[in-house]
Amino acid sequence: MSDNYEYILKTEHVSKRFGTLEVLKDINLQVKKGEVICIIGPSGAGKSTFLRSLNQLEKITSGKIFIKDELFLHRENDHTVDRLLREKQQELLLEMGMVFQRFNLFPHKTVLQNVCEAPVIVRKENKDEVEKRARDLLEKVGLSEKADEYPSRLSGGQQQRVAIARALAMNPEIMLFDEPTSALDPELVGDVLQVMKELAESGMTMLCVTHEMGFAREVADRVLFMADGIIAEEGTPEEIFTNPQAERTKNFLNAILEA
Amino acid sequence: MKKRFMALMCASIATLGLVACTSETGSGTVPETTETEAAETDSTEATEAEGMETEETDVQEAPASAIDLSGVTLKSDGVLSVGCEVGYPPFEDFADDGTTPIGYDIDIITAVADKLGLEVNIINTAWDGIFAGIDVNYDVVCSAVTITPERQETMLFSTPYINNYQSVVLLADDDKTISSFNDLDGMTIALQKETTSDILMSDYKSTGTIDIQIVANEKVTSCFTQLQNGEVDAVVVDSTVADGYINSSDDFVIAYKDTAEAEQFGIAMGKENAALQAAINQALAELEEEGYIQETYDYWFGAAAE
Amino acid sequence: MKTGFFKQYSKQLIAAAVILVICIVLAILKPAKDELMSHTSPEMQKMIEADESSSRKRVTVTYNDLFIINYASLSTSGAKVMSEKYVGFVGKVYPADEGVMKVTGQMVNYTYRMLGCGENLMHGAKLTILLTTLTVIFGVVLGTILALAKISKKKWLSGLASAYIFFFRGTPLLIQLFVVYFTVPGVCGFAWRDIFSASDAEAVYKGAFTAALIAFGLNSGAYCAEIVRSAIQSIDKGQFEAAKALGMNYFQTMTRIIIPQSVRRMIPNVSNEFIMVLKDASLVFAISLMDITTISKNIMTSEGSYLVFIPALVIYLVITAFFGFIFDKIEKKFSVYE
Repeated sequence: MSDNYEYILKTEHVSKRFGTLEVLKDINLQVKKGEVICIIGPSGAGKSTFLRSLNQLEKITSGKIFIKDELFLHRENDHTVDRLLREKQQELLLEMGMVFQRFNLFPHKTVLQNVCEAPVIVRKENKDEVEKRARDLLEKVGLSEKADEYPSRLSGGQQQRVAIARALAMNPEIMLFDEPTSALDPELVGDVLQVMKELAESGMTMLCVTHEMGFAREVADRVLFMADGIIAEEGTPEEIFTNPQAERTKNFLNAILEA
Repeated sequence: MKKRFMALMCASIATLGLVACTSETGSGTVPETTETEAAETDSTEATEAEGMETEETDVQEAPASAIDLSGVTLKSDGVLSVGCEVGYPPFEDFADDGTTPIGYDIDIITAVADKLGLEVNIINTAWDGIFAGIDVNYDVVCSAVTITPERQETMLFSTPYINNYQSVVLLADDDKTISSFNDLDGMTIALQKETTSDILMSDYKSTGTIDIQIVANEKVTSCFTQLQNGEVDAVVVDSTVADGYINSSDDFVIAYKDTAEAEQFGIAMGKENAALQAAINQALAELEEEGYIQETYDYWFGAAAE
Repeated sequence: MKTGFFKQYSKQLIAAAVILVICIVLAILKPAKDELMSHTSPEMQKMIEADESSSRKRVTVTYNDLFIINYASLSTSGAKVMSEKYVGFVGKVYPADEGVMKVTGQMVNYTYRMLGCGENLMHGAKLTILLTTLTVIFGVVLGTILALAKISKKKWLSGLASAYIFFFRGTPLLIQLFVVYFTVPGVCGFAWRDIFSASDAEAVYKGAFTAALIAFGLNSGAYCAEIVRSAIQSIDKGQFEAAKALGMNYFQTMTRIIIPQSVRRMIPNVSNEFIMVLKDASLVFAISLMDITTISKNIMTSEGSYLVFIPALVIYLVITAFFGFIFDKIEKKFSVYE
């Protein structure tokens, strides 16, 4: 795959309807390699839907998605107008790792099996090599001693760190985080954010839907404020948090900071 | 204890509706009433319908006078209830309408009942446990029942109304020759469960006389289907039944009849019902004399039988 | 894992071992067949000798060995019936023509026959167990395929699966059995026993068993389809999404993630289905196979003995208990992660 591209991820006029409900309206976004973008906003703003649209868990109604400058998918009125070949699509999708709010670990597999599963089954990699890499990743997220436990024996924070390791095992170039700390008890949030921070520092391209304003402020290169299906405001953390322009952004931040 | 248990079994079977059809008899004439008086006219119709005209007037004028019915207890007054496994042609089978029982046994028992001035109620029942239903669900069993010493220990039999032999049926295009049951050695045979054929063949097998595979069926019709489909090599069955099948189909031949050992079919009834036994025997004797039994035999078993 | 098993069931295992030792001791003490036979009367001996040179043998010799107890019966048919029965237990031979020993002898004989001892594999308890086990395996595999078809987004595929399930659940198993055994070969012009070698004397039973297995399996598949479908649909949607996000295709998702998790939820219902099939197995009487129920009914009608139902019930309970234990183990194995 050519590394000679401008944007690792780009969307043009992406919109999504569920029946008559318009969840996403004309979303345009460009992401450069290595950028860390945090998406904030009130619930129901379409943040998660947007993230899920990027790796095809949701089918967009219309718009274009580019990955590494290649037109990945172009849809109009719920019909696919143009897309890459299936194999190519599949290959590019593997470049995107995803972390879910509710972890979604495979409960019938141990921590190590959870991490090894996809590289061995999907990428057909050598089992021993994958296991070695998996153990390294578990060490990185601080869970090497839990490798042989089943997920049900771990705390929420530990499960989420396993989920991150599982996504990283596929060697993705982009990581999507869908409210990774929202389902966690407050005292467990820190460990997960720490792992994400280290990941950001290592140069990973990241899109995070989050309510952790401190994290967004500290780690993000860019912050998007979404409301009612549109990007209401975007800018550096500095701009958004200290000098928000849009009225909606101000209200949202006030509400959050008061709470 | 045993009796009570069997009675319970039969009662539950009856309630379960396994007794599929309880049909009034008389060659399709449905009696309007169950009173004895009505039965007289009914019997006339019935016998007329069957083309029996002998001494008709006598019977009509004094229907029950000739035969003493005092001391006879019946399940219901004026009605002879008959247990019968309908599905053993030509002894008993359903007519084309699928509900009216017809056959040799049906004709005989109807004529006997006429002689006694009774109505007939045919109660279709499974062969399994048919004797347990005597005096529970019906008064007599008239269903191609072979008279055997074992059976005589537990019930009474009328005088025989037909002779029967065990026979071997093959497919018509089979060129095997069977001159005794020993020639069945090595074959797979079908027969109806718990019949004389079953007892006989099981004995041949268990004594080690011959080595055969026995396929025992609930219904004799299944045996012939299995023979036709090629599942079995031969069917061992009553010669009377075999005659009926040969009559109606060219696919089968009777390869062997064991004429040395005749079996006799009788009407079975409860051990305590000696009065009924006497009455039925008298009726059978009269029917024999009138030629009715031979006539009916010729009608149902045709030229194939001797 | 292994030690866990022994620890968990230590009491039961000790009890089983004690029973086994007692049984082995009783089996060793039991008189031999020859000893049992040596008690026969001179008349019977004479009959047996006469049989040696006769083409129509008259004596039926039955010998039933039930491990800890044995039973022999010699009888002749004909006008003058002779019958002698013996029970052998702990070094002694008891005549079994009357009283308690008669009942004991009958029980041994009935149990022996219902277990299908001394008969081919398609007989008695062996038939019941074999047919039930194979049917449930066949049914679960077919049911899984049908369930996947039914939840498929392809309209024709899910329609086809629904029609199949509707047909097999909406018609009686007995009639399906008749159709498979009688109608299909009649129409298509083949015989079930011809599937097996012509020199195989048991071909007719094997043929009927094959037909029964096909009918039972097709029927059970329809019931299992609903079990599998509801189990699959009870799995959290997040599992599908996680698998998809990791790049797994539908087949990989189903076989590696969804179905293994569904298994545990299926077990209780599959266990019920097993018991249903176990009881339904008695329908094979219709195609002339003899399972436990059929044999006990035959004994009831031919010998008029209602006692036969006691060993029948015991045999059924032992089978149900044994397989209940197995299903329990499978369920535990699949729920180790919870």
